[in-house]
Amino acid sequence: MDTITTATKMNSEEIFDLMKQFITEVIGEEFVEEMDITPESSFTKDLEMDSIEIVSFSEKIKAHFGDQIDFTGWLSEMDLDQLINLNLGMIISYIEECQS
Amino acid sequence: MPIVKVNDREVHIQELNKGAAETVILVHGMFSNLSVYYFSIAPILAAQFHVVLYDLKSHGMSEKTLHGYDLNSMTDDLLALMETLELKKVYLGGYSFGGLIALRMATRFPERIKKLAIIEAPDPSDEKARGIIDEYSREFLEHYVENFTDTTKVKMGKRQMEKNHRMYEYLFYQTSIKQDMINEQDFFGSGGLTRVSHETFLLYGWFSNCLDAGKLLNRKIKNSRLLAIEGDHNIPIQHPQQVADNLLNFFQQT
Repeated sequence: MDTITTATKMNSEEIFDLMKQFITEVIGEEFVEEMDITPESSFTKDLEMDSIEIVSFSEKIKAHFGDQIDFTGWLSEMDLDQLINLNLGMIISYIEECQS
Repeated sequence: MPIVKVNDREVHIQELNKGAAETVILVHGMFSNLSVYYFSIAPILAAQFHVVLYDLKSHGMSEKTLHGYDLNSMTDDLLALMETLELKKVYLGGYSFGGLIALRMATRFPERIKKLAIIEAPDPSDEKARGIIDEYSREFLEHYVENFTDTTKVKMGKRQMEKNHRMYEYLFYQTSIKQDMINEQDFFGSGGLTRVSHETFLLYGWFSNCLDAGKLLNRKIKNSRLLAIEGDHNIPIQHPQQVADNLLNFFQQT
């Protein structure tokens, strides 16, 4: 289940692992195995996630962090080019910022 | 994932600003999904309204089904969704095929709608608009995805191409969508639309091949206003802010 809300602050490595777990849940293990996921991986180009998969991914972040993080609000401020260039590292930094 | 059971099928929905007094429902187009609104248009409307998005049957993350793509079945689904969510009367917006669903909703259940916003609804009698349904092939998909897809402007990778290919194959060859659409070709010609009395906002792209459909609707619906903005059929992707601002303005005006 992905409904736990963490109270403890996570470091960037832990956030990265959690993001990897969410990505695996969204696109499936068989695809993730073929990929080298790094903080530089972009959602659309490298991970080949389409927008409905990013909706799914956002849901998981919401379910995990609750009100602590307004992930959809943050994404909604980006234009299409920014969304296309969005990478894991940017999300990790954003989550870290929200926790501090 | 927020999933609700509607007419015995699982429907993926997303709701924003659930506490608001008034509700806007937005319907996406064919071969698309709710994400066309989720990241840009819905959050702007959610500043004022409770916004409900849902994936049509066999689209996005809603359950697949073989039959019932005609506008009456699609509006039965929407009405049942409103019942499930206990929504009595809503502001309704639809894009492309979703615009046709919104229009049919206004003719069948006028009392459930406050105002109507139609974005780029095509005329179902226009063979070119329906043409994509007749010409499907893998090559067609590659061309279509590269030029017309409204979900991303990135060149699609292998996994996405296969995922989309599976969806198109399913919809084109296994479901009744093709025939159901052909059966709707008289929709704009039949008398129904002239009975639409809602305040109706028609939003089209200047360079869209659907603009004539917008003009036709503007003539048929007495309480309508047509606005053409820069862009083509893909205006929600090309100019989401402008689309959202116009919808917000329209829904807010008393």
